[in-house]
Amino acid sequence: MKGENEGQIRIIEAFLASLIIFSSLIVSANLTVTQNQPENNYLESNGLQALIKLDSDGTLGRYIDERNWTAIRDSLNLVLPAGTSFNLTIYNEKGQLIGMVSNGGLNSENLVSIEYFCASQSSIFHCYILHLKLTVAAS
Amino acid sequence: MPTISIDTFFACSLMIILVLAAMINISRIVYPQINNEANENNDELFSEISKYILLNSGTPSNWGQNSQLTPETFGLAEVNAEVPYKLDIDKVSRLNSENIYSLSYGQIFTALKIPDVAFNIKINSLFETSINLTSTLEETNETIYTFNVVTERRGIPVQTELKYYLIAENFLKTSTVQKSNGAISFNVTISNSINGPAFLFIFARAKSNIKIVSFNIYSFEHNSAKPKPKGTFLRLSPINYTLNVSFQSSNVTLSKAYGLTFNHSSILTQITKNNNSATYRIPHLLDSSPMLFAVTGWNSTTFFTEWTAYPQIPLETGMNFSEAATLSDVFTYTYTVTINTSLFECIIQIGGVRDEG
Repeated sequence: MKGENEGQIRIIEAFLASLIIFSSLIVSANLTVTQNQPENNYLESNGLQALIKLDSDGTLGRYIDERNWTAIRDSLNLVLPAGTSFNLTIYNEKGQLIGMVSNGGLNSENLVSIEYFCASQSSIFHCYILHLKLTVAAS
Repeated sequence: MPTISIDTFFACSLMIILVLAAMINISRIVYPQINNEANENNDELFSEISKYILLNSGTPSNWGQNSQLTPETFGLAEVNAEVPYKLDIDKVSRLNSENIYSLSYGQIFTALKIPDVAFNIKINSLFETSINLTSTLEETNETIYTFNVVTERRGIPVQTELKYYLIAENFLKTSTVQKSNGAISFNVTISNSINGPAFLFIFARAKSNIKIVSFNIYSFEHNSAKPKPKGTFLRLSPINYTLNVSFQSSNVTLSKAYGLTFNHSSILTQITKNNNSATYRIPHLLDSSPMLFAVTGWNSTTFFTEWTAYPQIPLETGMNFSEAATLSDVFTYTYTVTINTSLFECIIQIGGVRDEG
């Protein structure tokens, strides 16, 4: 009788052990795995390149001087890879906000932020600080 | 058999199943992470390769201009470029298979000097221009053609300024600049005394930035037979500001050759001519626009027009990844590049050879 009880206890132990291990596996499988996003480096490079391209002939500074946010948005839409969402915040040399340009919401967690200094080529010197936030738009 | 033995056997079996299940689950969780790490390494490596192609001028650095040279090391950048990602107009043109001086995939692969890596390079305009002939109205002395032109990027309309050139036999018509919100219809009137086929060359310049220009060409019948496919009569190869024209037939007689940009049109000056080929001088224009060439002539008595662009885009060279079953880890990198003063889109796909072991 004692031996039979020992066997039953082992089965109960095994069931308990399996219950604990299975539940730990289920929990671990559902944990969010934090991964480095290689896409971010690529996006950062693209964003910086876009600003450099628009600034290379003074177009970007001129549009900011003119407060032509539509032209900046349309230019960035063309120069950035398709499916990129962005939000550009523009400050003057005193750090005061002078404009915001966006092509949609930035809902993704994988945001890339770029800081860029732009000097206008007009007769009156102006320096602007640009903060460009980018993400790949959800398809 | 005693009950305890059955119980013990049952418990042991349960434990073994449990351990096996745990191993399977752990491998399922861990494998994607290991794989992802390998992919990240490849992504970084391939990203650097794509940048190397666009930021390096290759050796010799003038391999683009000199049609006799094959690069020892591959790179598309312009020498002493003032901005990054500025590509050499001739190096780009030599990637196009329509150019008689084009590099083969093998030559590029050898010059890249990176084994076990396949690639594909595409260079296009930053937005697409499509042309449709929507109606034709034939009158006594003239014919009115109605065209619909759509400018868009991945389906999103692009506001542009449009300009067209119409070329037929001894005929060049230039339009005024028209504004478009992404789609526009306009009429083109041609006298019935003019012989075709007629070619409509359209430049679309983004309203937001004059450096972003797209183009397209539409050929249609006008007092003529259906236009023949591109390259039937001539093969056009612009390189080092010279347009090389190779005859595809012995009965070809050349007429006028036009150089077109958004703001300018000119008749090209012929430099040399023999029985099989001719060369024309390409003017250096400051216009922020790709240049289009239209070379007209007759094949026996049939009038024709052949065209090409400088830089010779759109182009695609390299491996076709959609049919490459032996490759894995294909990554795509999109860049905005400058050629002369205009902006274009360059898409580089790079893939590694699958590790069969």
